[in-house]
Amino acid sequence: MKKFLTSAAAIAVAATLAPATFAAEYTIGVSNTVQGNGWREEMICAMRAQALVEEDVTNLIVAHRNTDSAGQLEDLNNLIEAGVDAIVLNPSNPDALNSALEMAMAKGIVVVAVDAGVSAEGAYILSNNQEEYAYLGAKWLFEQVGGKGDIVYMRGIAGVSADTDRDNGFKRALAEYPGIKVVHEVFTGWQQDQGKQQMFDFLATGIPFDGVWTSGIDNVIVDAFVESGAPLVPIVGADNAGFVQYLTEVDGLTGAAVTNPGSVGGAGIALAVDVLNGKAPGSKTVLVDPVLWENASEEGRATIMAAQNPNLDPEWPVSVTVPGWTDYTMEQIIACKGPGDS
Amino acid sequence: MSGIIRKNAWVAGLLALLVVLLVATRMIQPGFGVSGLESIARAALPFVFATTGMAVVVIVGGIDLSVASMMAVCAVTAAVLMERMAGVPAILIVLALGLAMGVINGGLIVATRVPDIVVTLAMLFVWEGVALLILESPGGSTADWLQKSIRGSFLIPGLPNALVIATVCIAVVWLPIRRARLGIAIYATGSDERAAFRSGVAVGRTRIAAYGICGLFSAFGGLSLAALTGIGEPVPGPYLLASVAAVVLGGVVLGGGRGGLLGPIIAVFILRIVRTILTLLAVDPNVTTIIEGTIMVGVVMLGTAATMRGART
Repeated sequence: MKKFLTSAAAIAVAATLAPATFAAEYTIGVSNTVQGNGWREEMICAMRAQALVEEDVTNLIVAHRNTDSAGQLEDLNNLIEAGVDAIVLNPSNPDALNSALEMAMAKGIVVVAVDAGVSAEGAYILSNNQEEYAYLGAKWLFEQVGGKGDIVYMRGIAGVSADTDRDNGFKRALAEYPGIKVVHEVFTGWQQDQGKQQMFDFLATGIPFDGVWTSGIDNVIVDAFVESGAPLVPIVGADNAGFVQYLTEVDGLTGAAVTNPGSVGGAGIALAVDVLNGKAPGSKTVLVDPVLWENASEEGRATIMAAQNPNLDPEWPVSVTVPGWTDYTMEQIIACKGPGDS
Repeated sequence: MSGIIRKNAWVAGLLALLVVLLVATRMIQPGFGVSGLESIARAALPFVFATTGMAVVVIVGGIDLSVASMMAVCAVTAAVLMERMAGVPAILIVLALGLAMGVINGGLIVATRVPDIVVTLAMLFVWEGVALLILESPGGSTADWLQKSIRGSFLIPGLPNALVIATVCIAVVWLPIRRARLGIAIYATGSDERAAFRSGVAVGRTRIAAYGICGLFSAFGGLSLAALTGIGEPVPGPYLLASVAAVVLGGVVLGGGRGGLLGPIIAVFILRIVRTILTLLAVDPNVTTIIEGTIMVGVVMLGTAATMRGART
């Protein structure tokens, strides 16, 4: 009887120590091949922060270094050896990693590619919706100029899938506003100096225009207006720290930042946990919709002010969370600590 | 005689370290077995060839900073050719290309008398540009049988195909040379160029040959990259510094004349398995490289101290 009582007490103690719901114990592996880039660092920190708040994740193994596809294969194979339950990766190439990814999936490991796709059958792909990114910003801009006017269209790099997707979104918005005309279309190559020079050149022609849509080369365009003394027109950019700051500081600038969050990494972890828990989405490809922050309304300005944080790395995109996906706080992503990190 | 013992002692020491690390891996991850060995051997493949090529030019008294770029040229060439023709002729063309690039490196060094480090640094950029000219962005494809050949085990489980292929390729190229006049000339030139010249060694031709061998091994390295990924990538991977590290850790003296190829090859596996262990332990990725570097310096210092004590007694 005494024995029974002690074991009952032990069970009771164990029951109070154990979490209320029986949480699974997942180990998730992360693989990334670009180190030292603000967008990618935000992605990694979002992954750590999300893994920390997911109660089913007990361990996160991060393979994060500058390497080629062969090096990423090595990292992926090491993660498989480590016995992870899921792998979340930013692939260096859509086709080069299939041997390791197929082996992982054959072993029942959930594979989620974030930011870019992989061609391996059965892998989940989660990325920012680039078509929506362009549509959202373009639509706001066209509304802002009164549905009628001339627009300068500053694209990224010809032939890159993100640029092609954004072009589709831009054209979709254009079709809805017959009064809008594109007076000038250029490729900035996503280069700050090149984009600025192109804006200088166009301002010098004296051709009038009513608004500028940029594919993320944004704060230098504002600089070009200010430096050449031209009157500012509405400008659409991305949520880069420099541009978002301009939206709050530069006199007479009306503009909007469309989010392209590196924190999709955190959404990738959330998706992997969902799949492990049997809550897989209907489609293998999941697109994260961007949001738009504008400074034309009181409400918009409040959103921008709330998003800014002096502790945030200036190299990071300002949108540190993905609504509907990530659950961590801004302090947690800035701390950049995963489960098991002291 | 004592030199031979010392060299073998270093190799034996490295081998012991490798076994210790393998046992440690097994203790950390009890599931580590045949598939783990295979994936390490596969990951090591491009490093093994880069290191072997580097070791040969270091033994002759030089250094080749263009190893990774030559590998990139060979990888993209293989991926482009195999889209259009059968695998075997494509491989032969790539090997000839590697040899030619190495001979150009060596020829320039001997003809211009500009230091090796300067010429091959310049060629690093030249070959990088050539790779981008051949293939602007990652692409192409590789023969299926080539991709399959480096997977799985040979005859018995636990003897990875990748390891067998590396051993055969290196043995076929290096053993006949090592035993022939050229092998002796390479060591003689590296150990004292003037003495070698006065003993009748064609020093210039020997150095060109050594760089040619390095180019040939780089071609094997490029082919293994193409076989691993199934595509060609024009941007060079992290193989230059990794190969120098493995050469030094492998007991080849920077400056030339001393050391073999076995030590550096074992060193490659040591460095790969250290990365596996650090991944299994979920060590912070920013700390990983610090640990890798510290282990290297530690082993080389310890080895040098042991060798010096051995030389004194």
